Amino acid sequence: MATRTLPDRTRAASSPRRPRPTVVWLAQVVSGVLLLVLMTVHMVAQHFVVEGGLRTYQDVVAWIRNPVVFAVEALLLLTVTWHGLAGVHAVLLDLGLRGRADRIVARSLLGLAVVTVAYGLWLLATIAFRG
Amino acid sequence: MTGKGLRAAGGRHPSRWLDPRGRHLGTWAFVLNRLTGLGLVAYLYLHLIVLSTLLRGPAAWDGLVAVFRHPVFLAFDVLLVLGLAVHGLNGLRVALVGSGLLVDRHRALLVAAGVLIGLVGLVAAVRTFA
Repeated sequence: MATRTLPDRTRAASSPRRPRPTVVWLAQVVSGVLLLVLMTVHMVAQHFVVEGGLRTYQDVVAWIRNPVVFAVEALLLLTVTWHGLAGVHAVLLDLGLRGRADRIVARSLLGLAVVTVAYGLWLLATIAFRG
Repeated sequence: MTGKGLRAAGGRHPSRWLDPRGRHLGTWAFVLNRLTGLGLVAYLYLHLIVLSTLLRGPAAWDGLVAVFRHPVFLAFDVLLVLGLAVHGLNGLRVALVGSGLLVDRHRALLVAAGVLIGLVGLVAAVRTFA
Protein backbone atom coordinates (compact mmCIF):
# COMPACT_ATOMS: atom_id res chain seq x y z
CA MET A 1 0.00 0.00 0.00
CA ALA A 2 1.39 3.37 -0.98
CA THR A 3 1.75 5.90 1.79
CA ARG A 4 1.11 9.53 0.94
CA THR A 5 3.84 11.75 2.29
CA LEU A 6 3.60 15.47 2.78
CA PRO A 7 6.51 17.74 1.87
CA ASP A 8 8.57 18.81 4.87
CA ARG A 9 7.80 22.50 5.28
CA THR A 10 9.35 22.89 8.72
CA ARG A 11 11.78 25.75 9.29
CA ALA A 12 14.53 23.24 10.01
CA ALA A 13 14.09 21.58 6.62
CA SER A 14 13.86 24.82 4.63
CA SER A 15 16.73 26.69 6.27
CA PRO A 16 19.57 27.10 3.75
CA ARG A 17 22.13 27.24 6.60
CA ARG A 18 21.20 23.84 8.00
CA PRO A 19 23.69 21.14 6.88
CA ARG A 20 22.20 18.47 4.66
CA PRO A 21 22.00 15.03 6.30
CA THR A 22 24.38 13.59 3.69
CA VAL A 23 27.05 16.14 4.66
CA VAL A 24 26.59 15.35 8.36
CA TRP A 25 26.76 11.60 7.60
CA LEU A 26 29.92 12.08 5.51
CA ALA A 27 31.53 14.20 8.25
CA GLN A 28 30.69 11.49 10.79
CA VAL A 29 32.22 8.79 8.59
CA VAL A 30 35.40 10.80 7.85
CA SER A 31 35.87 11.78 11.51
CA GLY A 32 35.22 8.15 12.51
CA VAL A 33 37.91 6.81 10.16
CA LEU A 34 40.32 9.52 11.33
CA LEU A 35 39.54 8.54 14.93
CA LEU A 36 40.37 4.89 14.22
CA VAL A 37 43.90 6.02 13.32
CA LEU A 38 44.32 8.73 15.99
CA MET A 39 42.83 6.62 18.79
CA THR A 40 45.04 3.65 17.88
CA VAL A 41 48.12 5.91 18.00
CA HIS A 42 46.94 7.44 21.31
CA MET A 43 46.20 4.10 23.00
CA VAL A 44 49.41 2.41 21.83
CA ALA A 45 51.68 5.40 22.60
CA GLN A 46 50.05 6.42 25.88
CA HIS A 47 49.30 3.02 27.36
CA PHE A 48 50.47 -0.10 25.53
CA VAL A 49 54.17 0.76 25.20
CA VAL A 50 54.41 2.34 28.66
CA GLU A 51 55.65 0.38 31.67
CA GLY A 52 52.58 -0.33 33.82
CA GLY A 53 50.24 1.19 31.22
CA LEU A 54 50.29 4.74 32.65
CA ARG A 55 52.84 7.55 32.48
CA THR A 56 54.24 9.34 35.52
CA TYR A 57 53.82 13.14 35.79
CA GLN A 58 57.29 13.86 34.38
CA ASP A 59 56.73 11.39 31.52
CA VAL A 60 53.38 12.99 30.64
CA VAL A 61 54.92 16.49 30.57
CA ALA A 62 57.90 15.38 28.46
CA TRP A 63 55.57 13.53 26.10
CA ILE A 64 53.12 16.42 25.62
CA ARG A 65 56.00 18.90 25.07
CA ASN A 66 56.89 17.10 21.84
CA PRO A 67 55.28 19.33 19.14
CA VAL A 68 54.19 16.35 17.02
CA VAL A 69 52.51 14.69 20.04
CA PHE A 70 50.88 18.01 21.00
CA ALA A 71 49.48 18.40 17.47
CA VAL A 72 48.23 14.78 17.33
CA GLU A 73 46.56 15.05 20.76
CA ALA A 74 44.94 18.39 19.81
CA LEU A 75 43.63 16.89 16.56
CA LEU A 76 42.35 13.87 18.51
CA LEU A 77 40.53 16.15 20.96
CA LEU A 78 38.91 18.13 18.14
CA THR A 79 37.90 15.02 16.18
CA VAL A 80 36.61 12.99 19.12
CA THR A 81 34.56 15.94 20.42
CA TRP A 82 32.95 16.55 17.02
CA HIS A 83 32.31 12.84 16.38
CA GLY A 84 30.97 12.18 19.89
CA LEU A 85 28.61 15.12 20.16
CA ALA A 86 27.40 14.80 16.55
CA GLY A 87 26.74 11.15 17.45
CA VAL A 88 24.69 12.17 20.50
CA HIS A 89 22.68 14.51 18.23
CA ALA A 90 22.15 11.68 15.73
CA VAL A 91 20.86 9.40 18.50
CA LEU A 92 18.42 12.09 19.66
CA LEU A 93 17.23 12.66 16.07
CA ASP A 94 16.75 8.91 15.73
CA LEU A 95 14.62 8.97 18.88
CA GLY A 96 12.38 11.64 17.36
CA LEU A 97 13.87 15.00 18.35
CA ARG A 98 12.44 17.60 15.98
CA GLY A 99 11.71 21.30 15.49
CA ARG A 100 12.45 23.86 18.18
CA ALA A 101 13.72 21.27 20.67
CA ASP A 102 16.17 20.02 18.04
CA ARG A 103 17.46 23.53 17.38
CA ILE A 104 17.99 24.15 21.10
CA VAL A 105 19.73 20.79 21.60
CA ALA A 106 21.91 21.27 18.47
CA ARG A 107 23.06 24.72 19.65
CA SER A 108 23.67 23.42 23.18
CA LEU A 109 25.77 20.53 21.86
CA LEU A 110 27.74 22.95 19.65
CA GLY A 111 28.35 25.15 22.71
CA LEU A 112 29.43 22.12 24.72
CA ALA A 113 31.80 21.10 21.90
CA VAL A 114 33.41 24.57 21.85
CA VAL A 115 33.84 24.57 25.65
CA THR A 116 35.22 21.01 25.59
CA VAL A 117 37.81 21.74 22.88
CA ALA A 118 38.78 25.07 24.48
CA TYR A 119 39.25 23.46 27.91
CA GLY A 120 41.13 20.48 26.45
CA LEU A 121 43.51 22.72 24.48
CA TRP A 122 44.07 24.93 27.54
CA LEU A 123 44.80 21.82 29.62
CA LEU A 124 47.24 20.48 27.01
CA ALA A 125 49.02 23.84 26.73
CA THR A 126 49.17 24.32 30.50
CA ILE A 127 50.68 20.87 31.03
CA ALA A 128 53.16 21.34 28.17
CA PHE A 129 54.36 24.83 29.09
CA ARG A 130 54.13 24.75 32.86
CA GLY A 131 55.90 21.43 33.28
CA MET B 1 13.60 15.44 26.24
CA THR B 2 12.02 12.54 28.11
CA GLY B 3 11.25 9.18 26.53
CA LYS B 4 7.52 10.06 26.71
CA GLY B 5 8.19 13.37 24.99
CA LEU B 6 10.21 11.71 22.25
CA ARG B 7 7.46 9.16 21.64
CA ALA B 8 4.88 11.93 21.50
CA ALA B 9 7.04 13.69 18.90
CA GLY B 10 6.85 10.61 16.68
CA GLY B 11 10.16 9.06 17.65
CA ARG B 12 11.11 5.68 19.00
CA HIS B 13 11.12 5.18 22.75
CA PRO B 14 14.62 4.32 24.05
CA SER B 15 13.29 1.04 25.51
CA ARG B 16 12.59 -0.12 21.91
CA TRP B 17 16.37 -0.36 21.39
CA LEU B 18 16.45 -3.50 23.51
CA ASP B 19 13.18 -4.96 22.23
CA PRO B 20 14.21 -8.31 20.64
CA ARG B 21 11.05 -8.68 18.51
CA GLY B 22 11.71 -8.66 14.76
CA ARG B 23 15.34 -7.70 15.16
CA HIS B 24 18.13 -8.89 12.87
CA LEU B 25 21.80 -9.30 13.76
CA GLY B 26 22.68 -6.09 11.89
CA THR B 27 20.12 -4.15 13.92
CA TRP B 28 21.63 -5.42 17.16
CA ALA B 29 25.07 -4.35 15.89
CA PHE B 30 23.63 -0.89 15.16
CA VAL B 31 22.13 -0.68 18.66
CA LEU B 32 25.46 -1.83 20.14
CA ASN B 33 27.20 0.93 18.19
CA ARG B 34 24.83 3.54 19.61
CA LEU B 35 25.23 2.28 23.20
CA THR B 36 29.05 2.03 23.02
CA GLY B 37 29.13 5.50 21.43
CA LEU B 38 27.14 7.03 24.28
CA GLY B 39 29.37 5.24 26.80
CA LEU B 40 32.50 6.55 25.10
CA VAL B 41 31.16 10.14 25.12
CA ALA B 42 30.62 9.77 28.88
CA TYR B 43 34.17 8.41 29.18
CA LEU B 44 35.57 11.38 27.20
CA TYR B 45 34.36 13.75 29.93
CA LEU B 46 35.48 11.42 32.73
CA HIS B 47 38.92 11.29 31.04
CA LEU B 48 39.13 15.10 30.90
CA ILE B 49 38.23 15.29 34.60
CA VAL B 50 40.92 12.73 35.47
CA LEU B 51 43.53 14.51 33.29
CA SER B 52 42.75 17.75 35.14
CA THR B 53 44.54 16.18 38.12
CA LEU B 54 47.78 16.99 36.24
CA LEU B 55 47.14 20.65 37.10
CA ARG B 56 47.60 19.78 40.80
CA GLY B 57 51.20 18.67 40.29
CA PRO B 58 53.32 15.48 40.38
CA ALA B 59 52.19 14.19 43.79
CA ALA B 60 48.49 14.32 42.90
CA TRP B 61 48.97 12.72 39.47
CA ASP B 62 51.40 10.00 40.54
CA GLY B 63 49.13 9.15 43.50
CA LEU B 64 46.18 8.77 41.12
CA VAL B 65 48.27 6.59 38.77
CA ALA B 66 49.07 4.30 41.71
CA VAL B 67 45.31 3.93 42.38
CA PHE B 68 44.61 3.23 38.69
CA ARG B 69 47.11 0.34 38.74
CA HIS B 70 44.66 -1.63 40.91
CA PRO B 71 43.31 -4.70 39.02
CA VAL B 72 39.72 -3.36 39.13
CA PHE B 73 40.75 -0.22 37.24
CA LEU B 74 42.92 -2.28 34.86
CA ALA B 75 39.84 -4.41 34.09
CA PHE B 76 37.98 -1.18 33.24
CA ASP B 77 40.90 -0.29 30.93
CA VAL B 78 40.41 -3.56 29.04
CA LEU B 79 36.66 -2.86 28.90
CA LEU B 80 37.43 0.60 27.49
CA VAL B 81 39.67 -0.87 24.77
CA LEU B 82 36.90 -3.37 23.96
CA GLY B 83 34.35 -0.54 23.76
CA LEU B 84 36.63 1.43 21.44
CA ALA B 85 37.19 -1.65 19.26
CA VAL B 86 33.46 -2.46 19.10
CA HIS B 87 32.50 1.12 18.25
CA GLY B 88 35.40 1.68 15.84
CA LEU B 89 35.34 -1.56 13.88
CA ASN B 90 31.56 -2.03 13.92
CA GLY B 91 31.23 1.67 13.09
CA LEU B 92 33.45 1.13 10.05
CA ARG B 93 31.10 -1.66 8.97
CA VAL B 94 28.03 0.55 9.53
CA ALA B 95 29.72 3.34 7.53
CA LEU B 96 30.53 1.00 4.62
CA VAL B 97 27.06 -0.55 4.48
CA GLY B 98 25.37 2.81 5.11
CA SER B 99 27.31 4.32 2.21
CA GLY B 100 26.09 1.52 -0.08
CA LEU B 101 29.43 -0.32 -0.16
CA LEU B 102 29.67 -4.10 0.40
CA VAL B 103 25.97 -4.19 1.31
CA ASP B 104 25.71 -7.82 0.14
CA ARG B 105 28.69 -8.69 2.36
CA HIS B 106 27.37 -7.07 5.54
CA ARG B 107 27.18 -10.39 7.37
CA ALA B 108 30.79 -11.27 6.48
CA LEU B 109 31.85 -7.77 7.58
CA LEU B 110 30.11 -8.34 10.90
CA VAL B 111 31.94 -11.63 11.42
CA ALA B 112 35.28 -10.02 10.47
CA ALA B 113 34.62 -7.12 12.87
CA GLY B 114 33.73 -9.63 15.60
CA VAL B 115 36.97 -11.58 15.10
CA LEU B 116 39.07 -8.39 15.12
CA ILE B 117 37.29 -7.09 18.24
CA GLY B 118 38.01 -10.40 19.98
CA LEU B 119 41.68 -10.20 19.01
CA VAL B 120 42.00 -6.58 20.18
CA GLY B 121 40.35 -7.50 23.50
CA LEU B 122 42.66 -10.47 23.95
CA VAL B 123 45.81 -8.41 23.22
CA ALA B 124 44.60 -5.65 25.57
CA ALA B 125 43.90 -8.15 28.38
CA VAL B 126 47.26 -9.91 27.98
CA ARG B 127 49.16 -6.60 27.69
CA THR B 128 47.38 -5.14 30.72
CA PHE B 129 47.59 -8.08 33.10
CA ALA B 130 50.76 -9.90 31.92
